[in-house]
Amino acid sequence: MQENWTTIDTDVLVVGGGVAGSMAAIPALEAGLKVVICEKGKVLDHCGSIGCGVDHYLTVMDTGPEWDTPEFLIRHVPELTDYIVDTAVASRVIREMPRIFRKLESFGIDFKDRETGDYYRLRSFGLPGTYHINFDGTDFKKQIGERVRKGKATVLMRTMVLQLLARDNRAYGGIAFNFRTGEWYAIRARAVVLAAGDVNRISKNASGLAFDSWHFPYDTGDAHAMGYRSGAMLANMESVEATLTPKGFSCQGLNALVSLGAYFVNRRGERFMFKYDRKGENARRAVIADAAINEYLLGNGPVHLDCRHLPQDMLDRMEHTLQVDRYTLPAFYKQKGVNFREELVEISISELSIRRSGVYFRGSGLAVDVNGETSIEALFAAGDCATVSGGIAGAAVLGHIAGEGSVRRMRESHGALPAIDMAAAAAMRAESANHLESAGSMSWKELEDATRQTVTDYVGVRRTDKGLRLALDTLGALAQREPALKADDLHGLMRVHEAKNIRLNAELMATASLARRETRTGSSHMRLDYPKTDEQNWRKFVIVERGSDGPRVRTLSTDRPLADAFARSVQTA
Amino acid sequence: MADAKTHNPIRIDPETCVKCNLCDWICPGDIIYKEEDNRETLPVIRYPDECWYCGLCQSICPTSAIDIIFPEQMVRNRTDVVSLLGKVPE
Repeated sequence: MQENWTTIDTDVLVVGGGVAGSMAAIPALEAGLKVVICEKGKVLDHCGSIGCGVDHYLTVMDTGPEWDTPEFLIRHVPELTDYIVDTAVASRVIREMPRIFRKLESFGIDFKDRETGDYYRLRSFGLPGTYHINFDGTDFKKQIGERVRKGKATVLMRTMVLQLLARDNRAYGGIAFNFRTGEWYAIRARAVVLAAGDVNRISKNASGLAFDSWHFPYDTGDAHAMGYRSGAMLANMESVEATLTPKGFSCQGLNALVSLGAYFVNRRGERFMFKYDRKGENARRAVIADAAINEYLLGNGPVHLDCRHLPQDMLDRMEHTLQVDRYTLPAFYKQKGVNFREELVEISISELSIRRSGVYFRGSGLAVDVNGETSIEALFAAGDCATVSGGIAGAAVLGHIAGEGSVRRMRESHGALPAIDMAAAAAMRAESANHLESAGSMSWKELEDATRQTVTDYVGVRRTDKGLRLALDTLGALAQREPALKADDLHGLMRVHEAKNIRLNAELMATASLARRETRTGSSHMRLDYPKTDEQNWRKFVIVERGSDGPRVRTLSTDRPLADAFARSVQTA
Repeated sequence: MADAKTHNPIRIDPETCVKCNLCDWICPGDIIYKEEDNRETLPVIRYPDECWYCGLCQSICPTSAIDIIFPEQMVRNRTDVVSLLGKVPE
């Protein structure tokens, strides 16, 4: 036992207790392994980006028709992702969808419509079938959390993991601290699963409030940053994701709106989506966002949501569904004095996030193999921090795959875990403590504001070589000031580390964006100086890894799985 | 910590609040602090500008003592959306 440290030895360490992390913990617990979950929230039932609830779940169910088979959806994946996808991993995820769906049902999650007793399946976001089950998922996460609790995982709440423990390209734990108590943990594990979600608070939105974000603002790319610092391979970091939100409140709900038949109209009342995609409002999210961005840039704004043509029963379903995803949306409309059933609602582009660029199965983050294992042995990733992401279903399925992978990896590992280099751990802790003690010159809010302004201006939806270089200069200068960041309390110290992770992710995004000299998936990666999609030369992944003096970039063909380039032996499924 | 001018989105009615700790327990952002095992003290909204407006605190409150109030810049937003869509350097 080290002085002033709580040391824990476990089989599997899971970073993040959302859907992906909890689903990773479950097979490990079922295999009788010891599992420690570190979570920045306080309860597993409600943490992660769907802690409030979820209104739809994407799955193939294999009920008979061809479109409902994994192979049919797999065939459409290249087109859905504009050909930038790890087909091997995406195929594994899709093939596992029916099994994991049935497993979730076995937890007591009721995906059926309360009135009809059947699944209410809708088509949206360019998918080639009615794969989205619309359901009341208010308690979805609660039932998953309960399963983890029953399995007797050790859950460390209000605890942030700051650094991975890795040696010789193998992960063996992490360093974490509790931002309520100040307790520090050195955790050794035979396998680590990163499931800390996407990257938010990285660009500005209409309200100007950093924490008013469509996705969970407490997901700050911690997994991306930790993985990067340990030498893991990241891909697709150039792609950004945006959605359409009621102006002033960045909230969820686009899927419910478009799948239930809402329209978007421009200043002239024109239903413009068909100009951009023959599927109109049923196009992929990336296309919908891109269309609205273009309308604003063409001077055709404001854009409005129009539900006035919908029948009452559809409006009732829409109203109910929207508050499952975001409980406070009805209150927002009420305070605003808007009735979306009868009036147009002004729409804004949301802030940007690094997630999966508005398309399914192309995630931005840690490259994984078909078992969810990253380029670092015994380090797994799942959910919105991994290169194959598919919303809640993607998180559940890849999370479970990663959990099973970690069980196999753990059973293969023999011998004692490396001793933790406590001198290095103490140095890292002292550096962190400096933020509390120093009369620092910069607050985490200032660092974040400067990062957001830079991303919004030069790394967001209109990119140029010059702008990206300007952004990299600014982001590099900000990094120099990080040691002087000041925290008022332990909570502030947690935010300091989040702000550093956000800045680092912005740098990785700008670096990857500079490398991809083409435009792909519209505003997800729009290079004004290379406005065309270059199928000849750019059906490639942009890879970002830690170099000796900052991020190092290379490209890999999409013809091969990313894992083929991993510097470790790859397991077979 | 936020200063006094910061908008507080989470309004707790001190009359109906039963000082039970659930809002602190459920808040995903570590924003609400309630002294544990003390039925005398009210919860404190310590970091109001870090609120996600998710309303989990409101939804779990056993006596409906919590209201979520959106600030002016959210309900009557006047931002030019084009200003969010990037700059083209000269």
